[in-house]
Amino acid sequence: MSRIGIIAVRFALLAAVLAAWELLPRLGIVNAMLLPPLSDVVPMLGDILARPKVHEAIGVSAAEFAVAFVIAVPLGTAIGVLSAENEYFGEIFKPMLFYVFSVPKSIFLPMFILVFGIGFQQKVAYAAFSTIFVVIMSASAAVESVKAEHLLVARSYGATRRQVLTRVYIPSMTPVLLEALRISMIFNFTGVMIAEMYASRTGIGQMISSWGENFQMPQLFAGVILLATVAIIFNETIRWFETRCSAWRT
Amino acid sequence: MANVSNVTRLRETPAHTAVEVSNLNHVYEGREGKVAALEDISLTIEAGRFVVIVGPSGCGKTSLLMMLAGLRRQTSGTILCAGRPIVDPDPERVGVVFQEASLFPWLSALDNVEFPMALRKAPKDERRRRADEMLNLVGLQGFGGRYPHELSGGMKQRVSIARGLVQDPPVLLMDEPFAALDEQTRMTMGHELLRIWSQTNKTVVFITHSLTEAVYLADEVLVMSARPGRIIDRIPITLPRPRNYEMMASDVFGRLRDRIWQQIRTTP
Ligand SMILES: Nc1ncnc2c1ncn2[C@@H]1O[C@H](COP(=O)(O)OP(=O)(O)OP(=O)(O)O)[C@@H](O)[C@H]1O
Ligand SMILES: [Mg+2]
Repeated sequence: MSRIGIIAVRFALLAAVLAAWELLPRLGIVNAMLLPPLSDVVPMLGDILARPKVHEAIGVSAAEFAVAFVIAVPLGTAIGVLSAENEYFGEIFKPMLFYVFSVPKSIFLPMFILVFGIGFQQKVAYAAFSTIFVVIMSASAAVESVKAEHLLVARSYGATRRQVLTRVYIPSMTPVLLEALRISMIFNFTGVMIAEMYASRTGIGQMISSWGENFQMPQLFAGVILLATVAIIFNETIRWFETRCSAWRT
Repeated sequence: MANVSNVTRLRETPAHTAVEVSNLNHVYEGREGKVAALEDISLTIEAGRFVVIVGPSGCGKTSLLMMLAGLRRQTSGTILCAGRPIVDPDPERVGVVFQEASLFPWLSALDNVEFPMALRKAPKDERRRRADEMLNLVGLQGFGGRYPHELSGGMKQRVSIARGLVQDPPVLLMDEPFAALDEQTRMTMGHELLRIWSQTNKTVVFITHSLTEAVYLADEVLVMSARPGRIIDRIPITLPRPRNYEMMASDVFGRLRDRIWQQIRTTP
């Protein structure tokens, strides 16, 4: 099928979903209390976006997200690179990291609450914790994606250690690291939301959770649309960089 | 005065020796203890010669080449290149062309060729001029902007050769450069390599598993024994130059190839 054809079908599907969202509750096929029609949700989105309380909540969540990200990504990258580059470090820590990686991080959330209390620190700590393992794994995969032949070529032409780093390691690792960045954003976002929805006094996750508990369905759906949009925009921006930096990876 | 300088020229045979290896031994210390890889290798390669090394798999050809390139340190023995020992990689004296996939996929063909010059921070325009020249030499004019994944296997190896030659080293080492190519491309590339070689007057050390390729390319074929690798025969290839494909059908060609095969077959 042609490119344009595919895009047309995608839009048709999207339109069908939105139409169903509008029509099913309007026609009484599904309970409008559970699924408010789209035309009620969209104005609600404008409405909640105008509320100062929502602004405040978004600010808190964004700050948690940013701080957790700034902790998890550099730290995780450093540990990942170390465990791939340093044999002893790798031998000791890699199995443990793999084990913990496989455990759902949310089961540790109560411990974070016990240690940090409910608040900014606890949510940041939990989000960073739930993100760091995927960063470690990706960073060590990035190091391992550097080809031995390329290192040999650089050495044979007299590259210094620094040149090997800047001219072989970094370009080889960039596509994998960008992908890691993208995936860690998803994990980090999820971490913040889970922490806020589980126990919190502020934040957009907490708001969504309380809208849900109080059966405020239009608000709940407006919040879902808002967060989904933010996540998709983040994801697509990095993906755009990824494709630009890795046209050669085919 | 003129006489004196003449005499020194005559006595100074090392000036014509591109590579000299004396009593080289190498032992790998692996997990299962020591593995003697190379044993008492001595060889002299005159400047401008095309020398091909053949031998059974695992006999230490790549190891020897790595040592010639200064990429690996031998256990004992010396390697002289242009009269001076090789201890570290020295791109001014030795260029290396590796097996397939050694080009950097994130650099264009032109940037790949420029890479060695970029490492020593040569001026941009000199780099570009030289790299263009090399791409022309290997028959890739107009392909400088392409990325490796946009080139065929043969073209990639042409770029590798251009990269190996860009700093104009007197010696070019090649480790099975055409092994991954199909038979036809491989023949063409061999022929092209001879053309490039005759235009640049390099000393070439070329490793291959193909006996036909060995005889077709070489001035001299060195045959190595199975591990520990020793040089068990030196076969001068007396076929005239320039070589052409018809020679492959000749009796001399067949006899030479046969002699090499017998040597490899009977190596202990
Ligand atoms: N880094 C290493 N550590 C230990 N042993 C090694 C190492 N590199 C090579 N060897 C061993 O040394 C021997 C020679 O290896 P080498 O790669 O030089 O052989 P080769 O002649 O190039 O083989 P091929 O024709 O298959 O390319 C082999 O037995 C190999 O297992
Ligand atoms: Mg080899």
